[in-house]
Amino acid sequence: MRRPAWARSARVLVGAGLLLAVLICAAAAPWLALHDPAEQDLLAVLQPPSGFAGGSPDYWLGTDSLGRDVWARLVYGARTAVLVAVFSATGAALLGTMLAHAAGYFGGAVDWVISRAVDVWMSFPPVVLSLILMVGLGGGIDKVVLAIILVDWTRFCRVLRSDVVLTARRDYVTAARLAGYSHFQTVLREVLPASLPLIITLISLEMGIAVVVEAILSFVGLGVGATLPAWGQMISDARQNVATSQIGLLLPMAAIFVTVAGFNLLGDGLRRTLDVRATAGRMA
Amino acid sequence: MRKTGWKLARRVLVSVPILLVVSFLLFAALRLLPVDPAAMSLPPTATLAEIAEKRHAMGLDRSIPAQYGIWLDEALHGRFGTSISLRRDAGALVANALPATIELAVCAMIIASALGLGGGVLLFYLRGTWVEVVGDLGTILLLSVPDFMWALLLLLVFGVLVPVLPFMGRIDPGLSVPRGSGFLLFDALSAGDFAVLRSALRHLALPALALGMAFAPAIMRVLRSSLIDVYHEDYIRQTRLRGVGEVRILLGHALKNAILPTLTLMGVQFGFLFGGTLLIEVIYGTPGIGNLMVDAVRNADLPVIQAVGLSYCVMVLAISMAIDAMVLMLDPRARAI
Repeated sequence: MRRPAWARSARVLVGAGLLLAVLICAAAAPWLALHDPAEQDLLAVLQPPSGFAGGSPDYWLGTDSLGRDVWARLVYGARTAVLVAVFSATGAALLGTMLAHAAGYFGGAVDWVISRAVDVWMSFPPVVLSLILMVGLGGGIDKVVLAIILVDWTRFCRVLRSDVVLTARRDYVTAARLAGYSHFQTVLREVLPASLPLIITLISLEMGIAVVVEAILSFVGLGVGATLPAWGQMISDARQNVATSQIGLLLPMAAIFVTVAGFNLLGDGLRRTLDVRATAGRMA
Repeated sequence: MRKTGWKLARRVLVSVPILLVVSFLLFAALRLLPVDPAAMSLPPTATLAEIAEKRHAMGLDRSIPAQYGIWLDEALHGRFGTSISLRRDAGALVANALPATIELAVCAMIIASALGLGGGVLLFYLRGTWVEVVGDLGTILLLSVPDFMWALLLLLVFGVLVPVLPFMGRIDPGLSVPRGSGFLLFDALSAGDFAVLRSALRHLALPALALGMAFAPAIMRVLRSSLIDVYHEDYIRQTRLRGVGEVRILLGHALKNAILPTLTLMGVQFGFLFGGTLLIEVIYGTPGIGNLMVDAVRNADLPVIQAVGLSYCVMVLAISMAIDAMVLMLDPRARAI
């Protein structure tokens, strides 16, 4: 049996592989880390990785400015990143998809209100909007997720609405209505499946964006809070000592890059292989 | 040309209600915060009666729409309230900081356009070779490096490891800033002060490059794919049959049409880019509205957050309008509808 196109795409496979590695780190953090990520060793601050001059075998990626184990903070930081990515992308997708279908399917006044709301949201840089929301919501991982959902639903809504408008005009949608389906059933069974490939692609890309936004918020100190290890915090901490120790800055940045590249490769691969419209175009 | 002007005027008119809605949402959101501006602007020894009196004087005991009405009336007269922590007019603070941010954003947009458009054309020109495969994958990987990571990487490489460029502030501390518009490059040029110009350019190099690098790959990808679309059109084949050279077809005939979807994308991307200045300013210590915003957020300085938030919004709308104007000028079809 031939595997489907998306399972043969190199981008999808490499992206999924990178993400699997991050996921394993996140899931197995308590077993992978040899130290508690919050444990401070003030006699061993800013140590280089073991193997370098001054490094100790005890902290194999070194320590930060408070003597905390960098490796432990990296793997526990993966937990934070994965949680934020999954929940905020799912939430933003749900909200954005619902509004896009309401706007594209019903049209008229519903469409007008939702489209103007998107206009208002889009007139704000996402970074600034999430910063303002975090001031209002206060810190914490749940608040970060909520802020990302409230900022990024427009990414789904904007792209999907025009897709839904086209699908809703199809004859089979009218046929479903004539066959006695309610509006809700029609949208769920006839319209939504058509935009599913696009939604899946967007979710993958949104997860990458969520990882970056979480890092940005933690970087300016308005993120998940000091009790949870996060890559953005590690960057902000390492930046203070950039003149003496660079490895502490590079490691969390590499972690963010690997995760975001994983989501982007996966998303791009899925877009190329799943996109119904593009496939139909190629077959024609 | 009259139609173009009318279309642009309508865009300006549409942005007025957007600004009103944004300012109201911002106002309402900030009023729901558990901070009391009256208590914050009084000394800690103030009695509850004094706080209540101050609340009344500041209008905080009225409904949010009524408070918004007061704010709007004041704002339309150019008064945006007094900063709680800095004791200065919030509007004046923003006006002082905005030139630094605009200068950074404009330089970054120039870099992003040059890299993005140049890279897109080059990637398309080399289609079918190994460069395309590598470049295509490279742009995805480049897209995975957000602007603040470029900022930190460039700072690390060119500021710390190989210290060739400065990475703090807008100008060397020893130089005196020429008075004027606040746009350092412009002020230095008009004063003929080349030492200041050189210093300002050197200080802008890393932050502008960081921001530009983050937004170039998206432009590159869209330009390349719209060039591919344009090359399916008949007129390209006809031009080729007329004996026009490949380079001239690409730069003289195809690019003009392919650039339109790219411009539309740049309108959205440059809005994001303007928001990206916030973190770049924090990392490079640029005294722009980004640093103003972060300080205001940390001090819960509501009038400043409101004024800065609104100025970001105005800038994003202005950018998208400027891009719309460019599309209208380049595309006769957009004018006709």
